[in-house]
Amino acid sequence: MLVGYSNVSSKAKIKGLEKIDRLFNTYANSSFGMIDPEGIEALCSDLGVDYTDVRILMLAWKLKAEKQGYFTQDEWQTGLKALGVDSLSKLKKALSDLEKEVEKPSNYEDFYTYAFRYCLTEEKQKSVDIESICELLNLVLGVQFRPQIDSLIEYLKVQNDYKVINSDQWINFLRFCKEISFPDLENYDAIQAWPLILDNYVEWMREKHS
Amino acid sequence: MSNQKKRIFQIEAFKNRVVVDPKYAEKTWKILEHAIHEIYNHNASGLSFEELYRNAYNMVLHKFGEKLYSGLVTTMTAHLKEISKSIEAAQGDLFLEELNRKWNDHNKALQMIRDMLMYMDRTYIPNTHKTPVHELGLTLWRDNIIHSGKIQSRLLSTLLELVHSERTGEVIDRGLMRNIVKMLMDLGSSVYQEDFEKPFLEVSAEFYRRESQKFIECYDCGDYLKKAEIRLNEEIERVTHYLDAKNEGKITHVVEKEMIANHMMRLVHMENSGLVNMLLNDKHGDLGRMYNLFRRVPNGLAMIRDVMTSHLRETGKQLVTDAERLKDPVEYVQRLLDEKEKYDGIISLAFSNDKTFQNALNSSFEYFINLNSRSPEFISLFVDDKLRKGLKGVSEEDVEIILDKVMMIFCYLQEKDVFEKYYKQHLAKRLLSGKTVSDDAERSLIVKLKTACGYQYTSKLEGMFTDMKTSQDTMQGFCSSHPELTDGPTLVVQVLTTGSWPTQPSITCHLPFEMSALCEKFRSYYLGIHTGRRLSWQTNMGTADIKAIFGKGQKHELNVSTYQMCILMLFNNADRLSYKEIEQVTAIPASDLKRCLQSMACVKGKNVLRKEPMSKDIGEDDSFFVNEKFASKFYKVKVGTVVAQKESEPEKQETRQRVEEDRKPQIEAAVVRIMKSRKVLDHNNIIAEVTKQLQSRFLANPTEIKKRIESLIEREFLERDNSDRKMYRYLA
Repeated sequence: MLVGYSNVSSKAKIKGLEKIDRLFNTYANSSFGMIDPEGIEALCSDLGVDYTDVRILMLAWKLKAEKQGYFTQDEWQTGLKALGVDSLSKLKKALSDLEKEVEKPSNYEDFYTYAFRYCLTEEKQKSVDIESICELLNLVLGVQFRPQIDSLIEYLKVQNDYKVINSDQWINFLRFCKEISFPDLENYDAIQAWPLILDNYVEWMREKHS
Repeated sequence: MSNQKKRIFQIEAFKNRVVVDPKYAEKTWKILEHAIHEIYNHNASGLSFEELYRNAYNMVLHKFGEKLYSGLVTTMTAHLKEISKSIEAAQGDLFLEELNRKWNDHNKALQMIRDMLMYMDRTYIPNTHKTPVHELGLTLWRDNIIHSGKIQSRLLSTLLELVHSERTGEVIDRGLMRNIVKMLMDLGSSVYQEDFEKPFLEVSAEFYRRESQKFIECYDCGDYLKKAEIRLNEEIERVTHYLDAKNEGKITHVVEKEMIANHMMRLVHMENSGLVNMLLNDKHGDLGRMYNLFRRVPNGLAMIRDVMTSHLRETGKQLVTDAERLKDPVEYVQRLLDEKEKYDGIISLAFSNDKTFQNALNSSFEYFINLNSRSPEFISLFVDDKLRKGLKGVSEEDVEIILDKVMMIFCYLQEKDVFEKYYKQHLAKRLLSGKTVSDDAERSLIVKLKTACGYQYTSKLEGMFTDMKTSQDTMQGFCSSHPELTDGPTLVVQVLTTGSWPTQPSITCHLPFEMSALCEKFRSYYLGIHTGRRLSWQTNMGTADIKAIFGKGQKHELNVSTYQMCILMLFNNADRLSYKEIEQVTAIPASDLKRCLQSMACVKGKNVLRKEPMSKDIGEDDSFFVNEKFASKFYKVKVGTVVAQKESEPEKQETRQRVEEDRKPQIEAAVVRIMKSRKVLDHNNIIAEVTKQLQSRFLANPTEIKKRIESLIEREFLERDNSDRKMYRYLA
């Protein structure tokens, strides 16, 4: 009785989708047809998570959200299905699993790159201002690379060669934290193809410690 | 053999054995022994060679070769022992002579004996592997005479004493020496080496060690080298006269080591006479001698080269950083040219044009010329000076020589693009003020620059020349199409193509009516021929000749700048003008205005204007009048032309900044060019390639190149490879 079976599953599917959609509508702005920043804020407070918590960023990544501060219905559906959740409580639990998923090396770089792209709010924007970068670095890498990030953020704030950071520089920050020994910076070679901003950072560090 | 039959001629062995008389051998030997005695006693003439030969032959044939041979050895040995005694008995000088004589005798005897015993030499001896007669004779001589206890050491010491005497200036019998030494050589190379050469070399080394020590204490470098050279030549000569020529190298090596190698350092650095002193005073003879001597020892030339290089770098550095000299650019460059010429002379005359020295010279010059970042500017000023007046009256050949010398210095510059900027500025001023001494010289220099740096370097400069020529033609056309303009002020226009000439920001001031009308006529004429072009008058660059009549009727022709002309013409309609009025009517920029007024009101001999108050600076509340009392003994008075000067600090900064800005697109263009052809390339290789491509213009900074690459990445001309972040990829 295949028909019956598929009926059941599709019914179940439809039922599951219904729940997801219902959840979506709880937070969506009806005139736009998507969840806007206000909605997200509400979602956060319901999840018991701070608006600026990195787990929200991870959720956005999982949803493959295109625009910062907004979730479309498609994104919501695809994302929650991928998480295998259809209710608020399930979503809450899924958040901690999500953290582990992101930390998997195969996902981490993807998430890291996503985080930068997520900040490009204007069309044709290619770089992000220093302030936001510092916050983002703290959010995304702060836990894993606390000392490096603190030092790097300090440098970014005092230097004035660069007012914005582009994606090439961004991706190299992660590389730097992963590859370069800290705080001695012993294996950093300025003749290599590191972005100039990191050359300058290393020089600044070396001067501070001499 | 009388076995002749009329049959086929056959040679058969003896059918019947010849009975050999046992005493036969002894008898035969005695004959031969006797002959040997006679030979040694100089009585050989009475002997029959044929008979002796036959006897020896028979002995060998009858298997008595052994007896013959051992007999020979015994007999000869006995004779040699006697000879030995007579040599030992010789006194003093006669020792060598006796030895020589006896040796000659022995050789003669040996020759005869060998001829006599030739059959044995050819048959018995090879079969039994015994020493051949001649060699035997030498060996026996060696063992019994040369190596005899009483002779061996005496021989050596006699020879060494003779050499020593000759070294200390005495004359010796060289022929005798030669013979004795040849004797030792004939006895075999081991004899020569052990019994003479080795000790000779040791003693010589000791001799020269002492002598060099003495010399180094009392002679200065130049004299010491002369002495060393003399000694070296002496030894070479000695070899040709009586030593083994094949081993000349051994004794010269001793002299080189003891006299030169061991004291090289001290000689080179000797105060007041060493290498540096020789270089400073152009002592070509001494330098040449040092070069030729030091060339013979390991690292000799390297030492000279190193000391020369560090000295040159030091003096060069002082030259370019000497504050006094920096005040006069022409003097600065002249001094560089002089230094180059000096060292070229030294290298060609004293160091036989050695390439490695030439390279050391080049690298040193390149090093210190670039220590001073104003070198490019100064070289351009030097050229400017020469082309304005320095080359006046100089023949064409000499002009070429001077320009070639300047080009050599130019090639040492790393920042050739800086030079180009200054050269353009200075050339523009020369061309526009008509102040160049020789058009041919200008052109010649452009050609040389093109050869050194490529077509692109000089294309704009050549454009400037073209503009000048074209302007002349344009003027001709203008004048012939406006014949009515022959009365009234004459206008000479030079039309400059923007882009070829150094850009100057200009605000056109207000020209006096007579001039502006004329300029309009020209403008419409020109635009009539060249539609689609735009003309803008560069009032900050022109000149004017004005005829003026002063209070007491003094007539003068004043040569002034365009700005100054505008100011002066105002006084045709007013007796007194304030600074502000002048500024307003002429619209000349303030700083230029002040400079113009200053040169017309405050400079003695050029004060065509009078200023109230009479202070030396121009104040905004000053008033100006014509100086009715103006006096000059010249009819034509030149009031302040703009001449190329050393830039002031802020101007220098500005030029430097413009150069830096210009470099950025050049670097980017190089990066794109390279990446386009290679598609994928790693970081270090890009840096290397870019630097190489730009080398002829300037030394590219790796950090700057990196910045440009990052900018190109941002603009999506390039990207980093995802897996290997050191690699860049070209994005089509």
